[in-house]
Amino acid sequence: MKRRLFLFFASALFLIYVLAPVAWLVSSSFHGEAEITSRPPHWIPHQPTLENFAAIFQARDRKVTYETRRKGDPATGGYIPSTARDLIPSMWNSLVVAVSVVLLNLLVAVPAAYAMAKIRFIGRSTSIYFMLTTRVIPDIALVVPFFLFIRTFGLLDHLGSLVITYLAITVPFSVFILVSYFESLPDELDKAARVDGCSRLQTLLRVYLPLAAPALVAVVLFTFLTSWNEFLLALMFTQTPKSQTMPIVVASFASDFTISFAFINAAGVLAVVPPVAMAVIFERYIVSGLTAGAVKG
Amino acid sequence: MSARAGALRGVFGAPVSRYDQASALWLLAPMLGVLLVVAVFPVLYSFWVSLFDLKLTRPQRVPFVGFDNYVDVFQDELFWQSVWRTTSFTLICVVAIMLIALAMALLLNEEFRGRRLLSAMLLVPWAIPYVANGLMWKWIYDSGYGALNGVLFQLDFIDKYMVWLGDSHKTLWLIANAFVWKEVPLATILVLVGLKSIPADLYSAARVDGANTWARFIHITLPALRPSFMLVVIYETMMAIRHFDLFFILTEGGPAEASHVLAWHVYVETFRKLSFGTGSALAYIMALVTLALAYWLIRTLGEKL
Amino acid sequence: MAQIRFQSVGKTYPNGFVALGNLDLEIADKEFVVLLGPSGCGKSTTLNLIAGLEDVTAGSLYFDSTLMNVVPAHKRDVAMVFQSYALYPHKSVYENIAFGLRMRGFGKEEIERRVREAARTLDIEPLLERRPHQLSGGQRQRVALGRALVRQPQAFLMDEPLSNLDAALRIAMRAEIKKLHQTMRTTFVYVTHDQAEALTLADRIVVMKEGVIQQIGTPEEIYDRPRNTFVASFLGNPPINYLDGTLSADGTRFVRGALSLALARPLQGQAGRQVKLGIRAEDVDTRQMNQMLTGRVSSVLPVGSDTFLGVDVEGATLFFRLGRELRAHEGENVSLSVNMSHAQLFDSSSGASLLWQ
Repeated sequence: MKRRLFLFFASALFLIYVLAPVAWLVSSSFHGEAEITSRPPHWIPHQPTLENFAAIFQARDRKVTYETRRKGDPATGGYIPSTARDLIPSMWNSLVVAVSVVLLNLLVAVPAAYAMAKIRFIGRSTSIYFMLTTRVIPDIALVVPFFLFIRTFGLLDHLGSLVITYLAITVPFSVFILVSYFESLPDELDKAARVDGCSRLQTLLRVYLPLAAPALVAVVLFTFLTSWNEFLLALMFTQTPKSQTMPIVVASFASDFTISFAFINAAGVLAVVPPVAMAVIFERYIVSGLTAGAVKG
Repeated sequence: MSARAGALRGVFGAPVSRYDQASALWLLAPMLGVLLVVAVFPVLYSFWVSLFDLKLTRPQRVPFVGFDNYVDVFQDELFWQSVWRTTSFTLICVVAIMLIALAMALLLNEEFRGRRLLSAMLLVPWAIPYVANGLMWKWIYDSGYGALNGVLFQLDFIDKYMVWLGDSHKTLWLIANAFVWKEVPLATILVLVGLKSIPADLYSAARVDGANTWARFIHITLPALRPSFMLVVIYETMMAIRHFDLFFILTEGGPAEASHVLAWHVYVETFRKLSFGTGSALAYIMALVTLALAYWLIRTLGEKL
Repeated sequence: MAQIRFQSVGKTYPNGFVALGNLDLEIADKEFVVLLGPSGCGKSTTLNLIAGLEDVTAGSLYFDSTLMNVVPAHKRDVAMVFQSYALYPHKSVYENIAFGLRMRGFGKEEIERRVREAARTLDIEPLLERRPHQLSGGQRQRVALGRALVRQPQAFLMDEPLSNLDAALRIAMRAEIKKLHQTMRTTFVYVTHDQAEALTLADRIVVMKEGVIQQIGTPEEIYDRPRNTFVASFLGNPPINYLDGTLSADGTRFVRGALSLALARPLQGQAGRQVKLGIRAEDVDTRQMNQMLTGRVSSVLPVGSDTFLGVDVEGATLFFRLGRELRAHEGENVSLSVNMSHAQLFDSSSGASLLWQ
């Protein structure tokens, strides 16, 4: 009985720590302008409203008139910016980049991981260290050379530059996850397949890939989330809404003091929903994909 | 061997011997290519740039200055302050992450109804983009209407709303809190994996040997978790040292440089002062330090494996 | 030092599974008791209840006259050797053995003395500074024994400690454990599914099946006077042979088709009853004596010291163990005499012995 009680309180504490900030974020996004500035805060909005979300989805139609400006508390400048309409297109940009990065990652990382896990060749351990070392380099160190390079080629403000850059920060980890997982699969399958006449490529595609589903899902998930959430490099390489990704647009709302808090929170909620949904749905793959050999590695 | 058994085959089907160099090279080529272009090249190029006085404010004149940029960097008082701030930030974060992750992993290791729900919820902070994380905490920390003020006020811990992020004594701690909150899930998973690999028999043997719950924790659980802890420490140290996003969203290095960490310093130097030469030098120093630190950590902690 | 007594003990798990039902068992002080049975029979559960690793859900467990139901494992004075040895991987052999003494607050000199003595007894002194992963299976086994030895506990519990060893080592270790029991003069409770082990080690054997005790007795009693077909089948290698048949009208003979064998002692008032005759593999002889059975040889398997003979008798195939000098061929007819004074008789449907209860 004592144990049950203890577990109950510990779980409650756990849930509060993990969810309360997010719950407040969501709640705030349904606050109207007047309510958002109440002291102490209304934990659950007394007059919930969808106007913040409406602004994002219908921003094309809204015009900033004297009336709409006046709706807010002038002290906090709580108005909804016309740039709200940039949020949805930016999410689209993020999606395009993320999907491209995922596909490229799979193309590049899977064969490499198979080779490192199952083939004996000179330079095997070197390749592994090399790959791990590249991940240790901070993103900052990549910014200057890339910026100069991209600027010279006029590729600034182009989604392609983001895709290429993101490969640098995602490929090593993808390879790491896959190598760990491949290593946990029996070697005999490889030998049996190749004696049966499969080339290395066929062995990889027909035998190991189907077995590596959890690791593949983990790689897709990690890569997608890393691309979706990435901020610094996107900040450097994008300049107009044409190529700006979601984090940039959301950040721009935050730095403008005149924008309504409720609106900022709504933007945050939208930014948060896709990755969180993906993570929660694919939770068990994350754990199993990470753990095959992760601790030993 | 029957006649039917074929020879081992390489990537494209040609028979090979045990050391399959050719296949390996073909399969590795894309990855090596990508990494060379997007990882190795920038590092080398940035070193090259750091040897010049490249200011984007006057891009036409780019004199070669050798290691002058580096000297400038090391003579900048602000640089050393950022190093100090980064170090304290990293230390606070890593310790906090370890403790919280251990507690949460211990909880998740128990069997009880609703554990799956807890596991699923655990990933929420991890999935949130740092940008949104920053926004969320900025709103919570807000001095005018924030939730932190609200909660403390309602619980009678304070009698009027306080300034949080704007208070230079509290800034780093608050940013650390936001960082830790988001990093804890991954660390928890890593520790949980370690916990699950401890054979139940060891605990039984310890109980029979007379060890109570606390003794079992000290003598069995903690020693067995060393590899997990090492992994968490190394990974989170790397993440904390290079972290940028929260510093941009929450405080932009302020107030009065209270949160001016190394990553921010590089950003300011490069993209606000537009001094690419020194910016590169800084980035390069940072990369080297991170590499050295990773190497040192793995060497010292890795031995205990 | 301790008598262990189970009084109507039951163990039911929260999911409803009944591991033990109404167990009554008395283990005398200094006795070597073996819990024998197939996997899932509840023998390990019984051991865990003695150790306190699991809780009794019904009935009472006593050490001498102390009720132990709510006493936690770390406060009981028993030692246990696990099948997997469960050595602490991060501690040296010395520390592994010393751990239990440290937990109980012994002084440094006392610990040193006891550990060295145990190491000497088990011949592992040179290994004291090593870590478990540097030891062979047999060495780890000794360390596990040492860990239990030093404690000088009220009872020694062993959960299939030899099953991970190879055959030769197992037999050697059996002798060591037997010797240990004689020197320590403490209660030993030993769990195994290996009937040969049980027969060599035990003062008394407790045969269990599905959470219920089938029979308790000395090895001789269990082997010669089994109470039901389960017990009879479990001991003996190769397993006992069964023939279904009936008792003659006067209760003096077993009849199956053309086969008719006189019982050693006639059974009163059982005329015509459906019975199972049990003949152990070693209870036949090639010399032609009184009670004979004839059949056709179906298989001949020489195994070095013996020959296993498969014989078809009245529609059933029986396996016997005979000497190595036996010359027989498949398809031949053979006549063997049966030692009916060792034969068992069971009720056909219930399996209960008609000779011993």
